[in-house]
Amino acid sequence: MVRWQSLWTELGSFCAGFELHRYLKSSRITNALCVVSLWLATATLGLGQEDSTLHFESDIRPILREYCLDCHGATNKLEGGLDLRLVRFMHMGGDSGPSLAGNDPEQSLLWQRISKNEMPPGEAKVSPEKKEKLRRWIAAGAPTLRAEPEQIGPGVPLTEEERAYWAYQPIRRPEMTVRSNSLARTQLDTYLENAMPKELSFSPDASRLTLIRRVYVDLLGLLPTADQVRYWSENESDNWYEQMVEQVLQSPAYGERWARHWLDAAGYADSDGVTLADAERPWAWQYRDYVIRSFNSDKPLDRFIIEQLAGDELAGPQQGDWTESQIECLTATGFLRMAADGTGSGDNSPESRNRTIADTMQIIGSTLLSSSLNCAQCHDHRYDPISHRDYFAIRAVFEPALDWQQWKTPNERLVSLYTAADRQQAAILEEEAQKIAQEKNTKQQEYMRQALEKELMKYEEPLRAELKLAYETPADKRNETQKMLLDKYPSVNISPGVLYQYLPDAAEDLKKYDARIAEVRARKPAERYLQALMEPANHSVVTKLFHRGDFNQPTEEVKPGKLAVLVPESESATFPDDDTSIPTTGRRLAFARWLTQSEQPNPLLVRSLVNRIWMHHFGRGIVATPGDFGRLGNTPTHPDVLQWLATELIDKQWSLKDLQRVILTSTVYRQSSARNAVGDAVDPDNLLYWRKPIQRMDAEVVRDAMLQTAGDLNRSMFGNPLPLLEDDAGQVSIDPAQPRRSVYAKWRRTQPVALLQTFDAPVMGVNCDVRPASTVPTQALMLMNGDFAIAQSQKLAQRIVQESAAKSVDSKWQEQLGTIVPPAPMWLYGTGKVNDEIGTVESFQTLAHFTGSQWQGGATIPDATIGWVLLHAQGGHPGNKNFPTIRRWIAPATGSLSIEGSLGHGSENGDGVEGIVVQAGSAKGRWTAQHSTTATVVNGLQVTAGEAIDFVAHCREHETSDSFTWTVQLNLTTPDGVSQSYKSQEGFRGPAEDYSQLAGQLHRAWERVYFRAPSSEEMELLIQFAQQQIRLLQAEPQRVPPGSTVGQQVLIHVCQTLLNSNEFLYVD
Amino acid sequence: MLAAEQARATPPVLKDRPYNDLKPRPTHFPATAKAMISLFQHGGPSHMDLTDPKPELSKRSGTDYPGDIHFSFVNQASKKLLGTPFKFSHHGQCGMELSELLPHTGSIADDICLIRSMHTGANGHEVSIRYFHGGIPGILGRPTLGSWMAYALGSETQDLPAYMVLTDPGGHPVDGVTNWSNGFMPAMFQGTVLRPKEPRIFNLQPPPALAGASQRQNLDLLQSLNQRHLQSHPGESELEARIASYELAARMQLAATDALDISKESAATLAMYGIDQPDTREYGTRCLLARRLVERGVRFVQLFHAGQPWDNHSALKPGLTSICKKTDQPVAALVKDLKQRGLLDSTLVHWGGEIGRLPVTQEHGSPEQAGRDHNGQGFSIWLAGGGIRGGTVYGATDEFGHKAVENVVTPNDFQATIMHLFGLHWDKVFYPYNNQKQIITAQRAARVVQEIVT
Repeated sequence: MVRWQSLWTELGSFCAGFELHRYLKSSRITNALCVVSLWLATATLGLGQEDSTLHFESDIRPILREYCLDCHGATNKLEGGLDLRLVRFMHMGGDSGPSLAGNDPEQSLLWQRISKNEMPPGEAKVSPEKKEKLRRWIAAGAPTLRAEPEQIGPGVPLTEEERAYWAYQPIRRPEMTVRSNSLARTQLDTYLENAMPKELSFSPDASRLTLIRRVYVDLLGLLPTADQVRYWSENESDNWYEQMVEQVLQSPAYGERWARHWLDAAGYADSDGVTLADAERPWAWQYRDYVIRSFNSDKPLDRFIIEQLAGDELAGPQQGDWTESQIECLTATGFLRMAADGTGSGDNSPESRNRTIADTMQIIGSTLLSSSLNCAQCHDHRYDPISHRDYFAIRAVFEPALDWQQWKTPNERLVSLYTAADRQQAAILEEEAQKIAQEKNTKQQEYMRQALEKELMKYEEPLRAELKLAYETPADKRNETQKMLLDKYPSVNISPGVLYQYLPDAAEDLKKYDARIAEVRARKPAERYLQALMEPANHSVVTKLFHRGDFNQPTEEVKPGKLAVLVPESESATFPDDDTSIPTTGRRLAFARWLTQSEQPNPLLVRSLVNRIWMHHFGRGIVATPGDFGRLGNTPTHPDVLQWLATELIDKQWSLKDLQRVILTSTVYRQSSARNAVGDAVDPDNLLYWRKPIQRMDAEVVRDAMLQTAGDLNRSMFGNPLPLLEDDAGQVSIDPAQPRRSVYAKWRRTQPVALLQTFDAPVMGVNCDVRPASTVPTQALMLMNGDFAIAQSQKLAQRIVQESAAKSVDSKWQEQLGTIVPPAPMWLYGTGKVNDEIGTVESFQTLAHFTGSQWQGGATIPDATIGWVLLHAQGGHPGNKNFPTIRRWIAPATGSLSIEGSLGHGSENGDGVEGIVVQAGSAKGRWTAQHSTTATVVNGLQVTAGEAIDFVAHCREHETSDSFTWTVQLNLTTPDGVSQSYKSQEGFRGPAEDYSQLAGQLHRAWERVYFRAPSSEEMELLIQFAQQQIRLLQAEPQRVPPGSTVGQQVLIHVCQTLLNSNEFLYVD
Repeated sequence: MLAAEQARATPPVLKDRPYNDLKPRPTHFPATAKAMISLFQHGGPSHMDLTDPKPELSKRSGTDYPGDIHFSFVNQASKKLLGTPFKFSHHGQCGMELSELLPHTGSIADDICLIRSMHTGANGHEVSIRYFHGGIPGILGRPTLGSWMAYALGSETQDLPAYMVLTDPGGHPVDGVTNWSNGFMPAMFQGTVLRPKEPRIFNLQPPPALAGASQRQNLDLLQSLNQRHLQSHPGESELEARIASYELAARMQLAATDALDISKESAATLAMYGIDQPDTREYGTRCLLARRLVERGVRFVQLFHAGQPWDNHSALKPGLTSICKKTDQPVAALVKDLKQRGLLDSTLVHWGGEIGRLPVTQEHGSPEQAGRDHNGQGFSIWLAGGGIRGGTVYGATDEFGHKAVENVVTPNDFQATIMHLFGLHWDKVFYPYNNQKQIITAQRAARVVQEIVT
């Protein structure tokens, strides 16, 4: 512990990593400025004197490791014969003599070369601070902490200091003390409380609704249903929460959610990447489904890891059909086939193969070891004790299966799942197909014979007989004359392709056979494949260390092995070359078992797993860099919590669900996310978990929850990835015809789904350790204007309309919307008494019933009183002589008016109709139409605002067959010269809308999206919005699409707004 | 305990609340630059073929380099010196020597300051890219330069993002989205990507029925709901940021549409940028857009190429000729255009990659195939406008162009100098993270290169 502290201080400038427990230690003393607290912590712990005495192991070797040891110690060949691995060796020196001269830096070669920047040669130079350390150390006589070993093996030996780094320490249950005013429910809580200064404590539990929503979204990636919310809200048992966690953990949606987390780490993609083609991986989804099933069945994580690393070795060789369990194991190895691989799509070069291996190594390093293994590909890791040799020792574990010299392309690695029964059935069907083919052949021969006869009839004997003989003689037996003959008369060479010229029906007849053959073959069982990694039997390869990572420069052999820093000096770090008990080398199996042993848990793997789990529950890892626990990563904010979670996972037999039961039932998880004054004062960034961090929904959850809320989510599981659509602009979306969960989308490397990518889903390069949680205007635009968000809002609105027919809300809301006065209509539709003689309208009575497309007297027609009277956008039908139709226009302004139009009567029957334009008690125009069309033009009228112009249509003698069309355009010019046109067909409207249902619908929409009723104030807000928007849409009716209404549009917009809001997008 | 007493008197870093908005903020001292356009040239432009003539190298072409060289591609390593196949000539009143590949850049020689002594110390692309953007070689997860600018100064416009990235139609640059990452800062300081083809910003416009007043009403309702929600989560910066992001999105609809519409630019302007020519159309359009964005108050605009077109490991001659043809004219046009509009005084333009190239050849069997390997020891970049001393050449590499030997400038110096031009003490703009005061240069040695500042 003490040693780590000083190492970290050393790293200060490189590793911006935050050491919370240092902060915490000091913060118990004081809320200190960090820079001061660094010093303070050191001083408090009694390390002050170390600062004045620098030691080789703790202070100097890290500098040499970074800058010098590559050439002076790491490899067998020493530059200038100089070995800097031990101080002893420095005194011995190299070709130029000893590196150290007593305690005089100026006389010491080591100092001379480094201080003058002559060394290191190429790259970065040693920083002034580090130089100063070096100088002081030499001046102090180059002290070491302990006696140096007599002998060391090849390469740079690991120091105690390197072995003492936090991440490599064994997993042990840490000590704890329960505080007096503890709010802890679990040991986890106690560790977290131990890290808090005494003035800080957990927040009170969150509200029940918050907890319900939190647990569902966190565990399932879906919202609860309304019924679930009601059930858990009304559950009166004391342990309702525990019951809920238990039930949610059993949902099949759980696997879909937690699989996606793992797929990020594994670098899942449905395409190969590398080349422009980005070839599809048609079988990758089987691995995705394996991961979902594994999480759902709570497969112990040790088993889960072993299957993914060595499923093929576990499965053993194929004996007859692959068994279910073999298939499962093989599918798991898809993990090792996730790296980009262009070797099957255009780039099968050695570089490309080795890059695929390197990417696979990087995924293994970051996902399972939380180590930047890839930094040791070309040389020893500059900061972490991972040697170049370690890298190749681990590569040697995988090389028998990923052998770059005997490489297999992705397709060559596919494993067929055809069973013996499949094969047998296929054979039977093929036999059937062959039989038909035989029939076809016989028939074809016959047709060809007939065709030949026809052809030969064109020639006279004896040529005819000669040609026949030549044709019937097999090609290789024809004599020269015959060959010449056939060359001369090529049309005699009857082939199946020319049959149609002689026998038009023959070709059709033969095609029927082909169709039958195809039909039979289509009945064969489809062949399915696995994208697996299978090591060939007896394929033990020799792995060579590549100088500078270059495969063209192989050097010494490296045996398969472990990360040396995790192996005690007394133990062997290698795995056997070959496990003779199984056909494969067993290297990966040995590696997987080493990682997952429970007696001596692997500190990196177990910490790595629990850190990720924590990160997904709390939005931030205990180590914020889950892929790198090394010195380029961050240090744990809560080392004890990390330790405890690790021991807990092992104690729970690697059961993820059991571990989650503990985490989710702890106070730290159940507390409110609200800030409070004390917490804000002491720890505004909530590094100490005094409140639950709020989290934005992940990309998939945004999409899935919207589908779900709209009632459109299809919950079917597994199978082929959902097809993608690309619009004209190149924006990629998931086919809306398959509204399934986003985990089933096709995750192509070069075709990221825009909605998901915008909300931070990874575009897969290698793999994804942490997703950022970004907040950018492009997300806002996506939700405001994107097709998906708009479509879901419309669907939600439809759902609300269907659901809330009987919804009753406080009548005051209904009244507020009900009192919105519609703008005075410009057009009225009626009948009335017309004085036909002088052409005046003596009374006007509006039509009572609107069918959706026309006005009429009542629900049925003819109406008992007014008969056949009806008006629609284009025209109408008058009643008898007492009941004409009257389309009335109300002038919106004073001005001069001209009218143009067209009155038509289409029927050949009946006596036609008469149309009259009436203004201020006199007829301004009069036309008749009988099976004809006539223009209705009136010019030079003056109107005043509010004055009516009536378009009267009445029957003549009889009303039979009197359907008429009459569209008019009125051109009004106001005194100030502004002209405006009004068309009767465009202005046609039904009755003023009734908004009495709308208040209830808005209320319902709110409940649907937020799972709670709106407060009175919130309802007020919705009503105000509705009033405002109704007025806008009334004034601008072009905003209402045909077939929709103002009220529907308002509802859709409220739905969209709710789905865009923070209360929906964030989880408290 | 005395130390503890003193410590108690000092407020902890975590008390310093970082900025969480994009309002314009005061500078520490009067600034010369208000905006920056960075034309990032991924791959490592070959300085000895473009900006840094080396007669000695040409003279000794074919002989062995006398010193040590660190190669990235050891298997193709050679110590054989490779003289440039291109001619250099003097440009402008200052007489700056530039290669024949950059005639247009030559025409702005009097406006630019060419730094010939850049040094990252590392040859790898990603290592040096991250050094330039984030302040530490090779380290991921830090805010990029644009993030620091947006954070330190906020935005002059509340209608467009402060930090915009114009990517290439061919795809993302090497190191992908890391190039415009906000690192440990809030996401509002992340670069907003303008897509390389229409629509430049996805989903910018709503369907017609929703556009305008109707969407405004929806947004007002949304913001009322969000404000109510925020009241129950006081101080939750992410929620505040999302509220702000909706307002910004709404304003962007108007502003971005206008900024991205180049149809009203004159034919002369389009021709100046080479938008009328197939080779230069694409990069020219993006350079012009960069000007239009800066004109509208965007703080930091960065252009990237797909992949790394300047990574000429092989076929150096045709490779360089082609990329220069695409970029030289648009780049020079941008500087001229800014100048003629009076914007160059307050707009800093940066051209450069993360590394340069070695003076020795990278073997590929034949001379036509010869290329150059990476070189982080010495290379060139240039700056113009925003208070930069134009018509100057600063620093020098050795006689072969391998190492910066005179007035060495590191990416940290570059960052400090840029902050200085914007009126900021680079070591006083900090973001509290991990209980430490994080600054752009990560506490590494840095200096303002006063010699290139007016």
